[in-house]
Amino acid sequence: MRNSEIKIPQPDEISSREKEDAMGAYLMMFAAWGIGFPLPIFNLIAAVIYFYINKKNSRFVSFHSLQSLLSQVPVTLINVGLIVWLIRNLFTDLTFSSAFFICLVFMVLSNILYILFSVIALVRARKGRFFYMPFFGRVTFGRYYGPRAVSFSRPVEENRPPEGF
Amino acid sequence: MKLEITHQDRYSRGELLLRTFLGGIYIAIPHYFLIFFVSIWSGILLFVTFWVILFTGKYPESIFEFQIKFMKWYLRLNAVISNLIDGYPAFGLKGTNEKVLLEVERPERVSRGLLLLRAFFGWAYVGVPHGFCIYFLEIASGVIVFLAWWVVLFTGEYPEKWHAFNVGVMRWSTRVSLYLGYFTDDYPPFSLKA
Repeated sequence: MRNSEIKIPQPDEISSREKEDAMGAYLMMFAAWGIGFPLPIFNLIAAVIYFYINKKNSRFVSFHSLQSLLSQVPVTLINVGLIVWLIRNLFTDLTFSSAFFICLVFMVLSNILYILFSVIALVRARKGRFFYMPFFGRVTFGRYYGPRAVSFSRPVEENRPPEGF
Repeated sequence: MKLEITHQDRYSRGELLLRTFLGGIYIAIPHYFLIFFVSIWSGILLFVTFWVILFTGKYPESIFEFQIKFMKWYLRLNAVISNLIDGYPAFGLKGTNEKVLLEVERPERVSRGLLLLRAFFGWAYVGVPHGFCIYFLEIASGVIVFLAWWVVLFTGEYPEKWHAFNVGVMRWSTRVSLYLGYFTDDYPPFSLKA
């Protein structure tokens, strides 16, 4: 292996501690419930803290921490935006337009999608595997492995970069 | 679990007076200010730990280490504030104090049944009986801290049995915290002894 190349770790090369730490990154989506103040912004803050704690950890843990953090950004912005909209309407006697309800449906769907992807990523991380979320997976992979990432042919199913990377 | 706080042969009267009159400013405020934020993080991790244990049956190693380090910080601060040891408590999770020893073994597996029992009924079968005892022990401990303050001021020595009693109260409440925090499956004994 050349010095410039970065080997993609396989499950049997990742310690159980790293697997647990990687899994923990996705559990930050419940952080707000942990402090009993379920506002979505606290999940994002917790994910940022978790990322900064683990960014000097192994690439595998850093990858999952950053992917978890990035994937939380859009869903948090949507949630916060809708909460602000809701509060503003409640306190100013404004009526709820159909646009609000469309956004509400969009928010619910994006949250379901986010939770679904996070749970899959969580389970994969626990098994020492990568999971690439749409868009965020590629960005994060590029940050920690990038074009220097190499994989070797092995008889077992192996972790690979995202398709077409 | 092992919790020991070293009993010193001699205690500094100067430090005692300094702690009493200015300790709030130079010890309690800076430490508790930081501990407040760390405790929020600790609470988040405790919540996360619940789910991790529920699904995996294991306490995550790095979270375990974090929580124990946090507990050590809290203990060495309390030990200084209650005059059990002299010196300034080290800040942060990486800080240490050779006079305060806390050893907790990370369990291989944590019972999921006990986890649920503690989460939903811990207040009833741990909180109520132990809380009742600890409440009165804390009152007794407060009286002893007050009396020991005068003894240290005049003699420079902390009566060994009083010291052991106060450490015992800390040990008891630490055991309860460890059990309720899922660090161990062993029900905490109603005892001050090590």
